[in-house]
Amino acid sequence: MTTTLPPTITTAARAIDASKVYGEGEAAVRALDHITVEFEAGKYSAIMGPSGSGKSTLLHCLAGLDRVTSGQVFLGDLEIASMHEKELTKVRRDRIGFVFQAFNLIPTLNALENITLPMSLAGRKPDQQWLDTVIDTVGLRDRLKHRPSELSGGQQQRVAVARALASRPQIIFADEPTGNVDSRAGAEILGFMQRAVRDFGQTIVMVTHDPIAASYSDRVVILADGKIVDEIIEPTTDAVLDKMRALGA
Amino acid sequence: MWRVTIKYLAARKLRLLLTGIAVTLGVAFMAGTLTLTDTVQRTFDDLFANVNRGTDAVVRSKAALKSSQFGDSRPPVPESLLGQVRAVPGVAAAEGNVNVPYAQLVDSKGKAIGNPGQGAPSFGFVWSNNSKLNPFRLQPGSNPPRSDDQIVIDKKSADKGHLHVGQRTIVLSQQPSKKYTIVGIAKFGTVDSPAGASVVLYTTREAQRAAALPGKFTDISVVAAHGLSQDQVKANLQRALSSDPKIEVITGKQLTKENQDNIKKALGFFRTALLVFAAVSLLVGIFIIYNTFSIIVAQRSREMALLRAVGASRRQVLTSIVGESFAIGLIASAIGLVLGIALSTGLKQLLNVLGFDIPGGSVVVKPATVIISMLIGTIVTLLSAVLPARRAATIPPIAAMREVSFETTGHSARRSLIGALIVGVGAAILAFGLFTSPKNAISYVGFGALLVFIGVFVLGPVIAQPAARILGAPLPRLKGMTGVLARENAIRSPKRTARTAAALMIGVALVGFITIFAASAKKSFAAAITDQIKVDYIITTGRNFGGSGLSPALAERIAKLPAIEAVTPIRIGPASVNGTVTGVATVKPTAAATMFDFNFTRGSIASLTSNGVAVSKSYADKHHLSLGDPLPVKFSSGRTVPLKVEGIYKRTELAGTFLVSLDNYAKNESQQFQLDFQVFAKLKPGVSAAEGSKEITPLLKHYPTAKLQDQAQYKNEQVSSINQVLNLVYALLFLAILIALIGIANTLALSIYERTRELGLLRAVGMTRSQVRSSVRWEAAIIALFGTVLGLAIALSFGFSVFLALKNEGFSKFSAAPGQLLVIVILSAIAGVVAAIFPARRAAKLDILKAIATE
Ligand SMILES: Nc1ncnc2c1ncn2[C@@H]1O[C@H](COP(=O)(O)OP(=O)(O)OP(=O)(O)O)[C@@H](O)[C@H]1O
Ligand SMILES: [Mg+2]
Repeated sequence: MTTTLPPTITTAARAIDASKVYGEGEAAVRALDHITVEFEAGKYSAIMGPSGSGKSTLLHCLAGLDRVTSGQVFLGDLEIASMHEKELTKVRRDRIGFVFQAFNLIPTLNALENITLPMSLAGRKPDQQWLDTVIDTVGLRDRLKHRPSELSGGQQQRVAVARALASRPQIIFADEPTGNVDSRAGAEILGFMQRAVRDFGQTIVMVTHDPIAASYSDRVVILADGKIVDEIIEPTTDAVLDKMRALGA
Repeated sequence: MWRVTIKYLAARKLRLLLTGIAVTLGVAFMAGTLTLTDTVQRTFDDLFANVNRGTDAVVRSKAALKSSQFGDSRPPVPESLLGQVRAVPGVAAAEGNVNVPYAQLVDSKGKAIGNPGQGAPSFGFVWSNNSKLNPFRLQPGSNPPRSDDQIVIDKKSADKGHLHVGQRTIVLSQQPSKKYTIVGIAKFGTVDSPAGASVVLYTTREAQRAAALPGKFTDISVVAAHGLSQDQVKANLQRALSSDPKIEVITGKQLTKENQDNIKKALGFFRTALLVFAAVSLLVGIFIIYNTFSIIVAQRSREMALLRAVGASRRQVLTSIVGESFAIGLIASAIGLVLGIALSTGLKQLLNVLGFDIPGGSVVVKPATVIISMLIGTIVTLLSAVLPARRAATIPPIAAMREVSFETTGHSARRSLIGALIVGVGAAILAFGLFTSPKNAISYVGFGALLVFIGVFVLGPVIAQPAARILGAPLPRLKGMTGVLARENAIRSPKRTARTAAALMIGVALVGFITIFAASAKKSFAAAITDQIKVDYIITTGRNFGGSGLSPALAERIAKLPAIEAVTPIRIGPASVNGTVTGVATVKPTAAATMFDFNFTRGSIASLTSNGVAVSKSYADKHHLSLGDPLPVKFSSGRTVPLKVEGIYKRTELAGTFLVSLDNYAKNESQQFQLDFQVFAKLKPGVSAAEGSKEITPLLKHYPTAKLQDQAQYKNEQVSSINQVLNLVYALLFLAILIALIGIANTLALSIYERTRELGLLRAVGMTRSQVRSSVRWEAAIIALFGTVLGLAIALSFGFSVFLALKNEGFSKFSAAPGQLLVIVILSAIAGVVAAIFPARRAAKLDILKAIATE
């Protein structure tokens, strides 16, 4: 099946009939199974699903960190599945922000250097006004000269969020950004991300296990066995819990 | 626990390889040296055994002077002794030998054959008609020499010089140049020439003439009657000749042993010199293995802690690491040994290329070589791993819970103190060796230098951080974020950076030192020539090592030319003064007075008579000599001459410690030291250089080794002859540098393995592959520069100390060789980048997802 719908402007990222197969023959694992999904610009989307359902794989493929085995992946109007590594790197640097579950920061750089890292790599000067806004939003003003080892886990994640926001990427991908911090720090981080979407029009796609985290989003996509099995618009914690229970997760 | 070791080894093949190479190369160098010298020794052993095979006894003079530099000097024996020897009961045959110390063949194009003055020597002998005493075998179509203008030559020279039977050619000796007809070409037993030497075989009378020993023999070879042992015929000869106390008799076997021992001594020096360089390579290897194991232990600290947590004892952890190093040491040494044996041929080739001609037969591998190589390689590896292993054993089980590998930073007052102390003690020992000239000064200097290296190694981590920060300072502006990361990575583990750099430091320090030393020596030498010589021409035989020179006839003929005002040769020979055998130089006083300025404080060259000797000021001071004091000198002829001090001079670069007049020297030194080393000539006033050359040049046609130079050319040639030695040392130190570079590559590879997640993250947020590569390369450049700067700092202080120590012995000028040192800095930065190629590629190729997923 080859549907090549022209991507609409309001779609920040989309996968069309995307499959990802790990390994070959008997041992092959189908992590993504003909998925077609799109994520709206200016919205906070969450991806949920049982462990091993393909959430991280989907995120990696959308973010140009991994390649789909078949199908198409668009970032805005760019088809990235067929891009060369060199172009992909630039796309990640200039158009995408990342927040991982852990080990988000370069230990030899201080907080500020970590925040501006993608721009430094591109040789660009950050927009100072925006940078100040971001830093104040995440409340790191007095920690800028500190190295990651001198920051708490929650602070480290806030630096990571700030980095993702600082370059005003088209889209931010976050893989369980609150997975390694306690609930209070988690709530703070989720709050910043929500504000970034509401106040600054940022687009965020986040993988999470946590129904509370999902409730910060505008829409939840639910994955099981590499397929989209459900979605919730304007999710609440309870609505998410119900759906997840139904999946037996 | 052993199973853990083996599994770990198998899993890390590459790292194993890199670590092993550091040992392998050092061991290969050592094994190569041993094999090469053993092979050469065997060649000579066989050679002498062959030469002396038919000789049962030798009758000769007792040694007048014994010297390691000049060899033993024996006066010749009179021809009449041969008749006496032949009459001794038990003597079946006896022949008089004449050794012609210099018999340089000239090829069909008029050029000297071979590499005059270096490598294989050119000898002349008597063609013996007794086949038992003559190891040479005539080739088909050849005849023995029957008249004084006929010669037989060795096959190698004939082939090299395109000479054939019937051809006429020049042979240079200490007599005037003479043309001979080649009547025969001979093989030495089954080979073309004895150990590559070129040989001219004369009639007895002609050999005596060429050696300036008319009516004399060098010695007499004896064949014993059938059934008589060597000892028996020796005893008979001793009894019969006992009336002359100056004559001695030895057996053929003793002669062979003596010849072989002489070679062994000469080779021993050469062998020690090469082994020093092998030791340097091994030392660099030790630093690298130590570093590698330190990093591995740090990286595996969690694993070790886990092992400890599940119940492995400290001892077991220790055994595991030591076992790993033992396995690496054993395998690497074995490979090194094999490589070294193969390399011995290459080493020989290298020396040949650099102008040192070494003969060689089939490769000789002694059991000692195998044992020493395996033992040293393995022990060195084990020793380098012991400290890290002990550290590993002390890792507390709780460390298993910690996140990253832990390696403490380099700062500590204790470390600074200990490091400074070691450097201090090393410097003191070094200075002691340099300035108080004790016995074995070189051992003190070497040990002191080693301590300084170790001290700086200990201090390294303390200075690594600030140093790398300074060296890397321009990087952020130059390369942006890539540069920042390179600098920060070079700084983040000061111990690692310091240890890696220290390995390079050693090589660079030595290269830097000899560069400075050579530059200073050249400058001093050039200044000495400019200050002390004022002549129009100098005739040399090219580069000057022993064994060659110019026939005195040339200087005599030049002196007679109408354009020439004055001529003097310089000759150098052995003599015993105050019981010590040293070199004595000679010039023609009247001529020399107009040419040389040796800065006489008492007397002058001009006033040097045949009853006098001039001595250097430092010798005079030491022995409280003043003008007119008696100073008996025993010359190589065996005569002791009661000389008087007639002059005291300061500058010894050209004159050495003792200077005698030419007629004195010519009368008392034996014939083998009567070749002119160099000839100096001055034009008459008003005669142009062109006119002078026009007169001299035709004379030189008969002396193809002679080279006419003006003073400027002479200075250049003399100074550049230092380069030859310099190049050899560079070549030998290259290996140490190479090992150090492997060390950089190894450290980087290990660091990159450790930074997998970080690199994955960088790539995820948009670092391009080329940026990753560039960052690793710059990191390597900083490490390399750090090592280089340390090395050059040491080189400068060593160089200056040596200059101070030798200031009064002709080492008058110091040069820091800034140009060359800058080249060294640039080259090592480049070398660091080259070393980083492979690790950088690996870092760039990293799979992002795997890196992110790495636990
Ligand atoms: N590199 C790989 N090689 C083989 N199989 C893989 C690989 N990466 C992922 N998989 C498989 O693909 C499937 C999807 O994995 P993925 O990591 O996307 O799951 P996930 O939904 O993120 O799970 P979790 O919630 O545990 O993080 C799993 O069955 C996993 O085992
Ligand atoms: Mg996942």
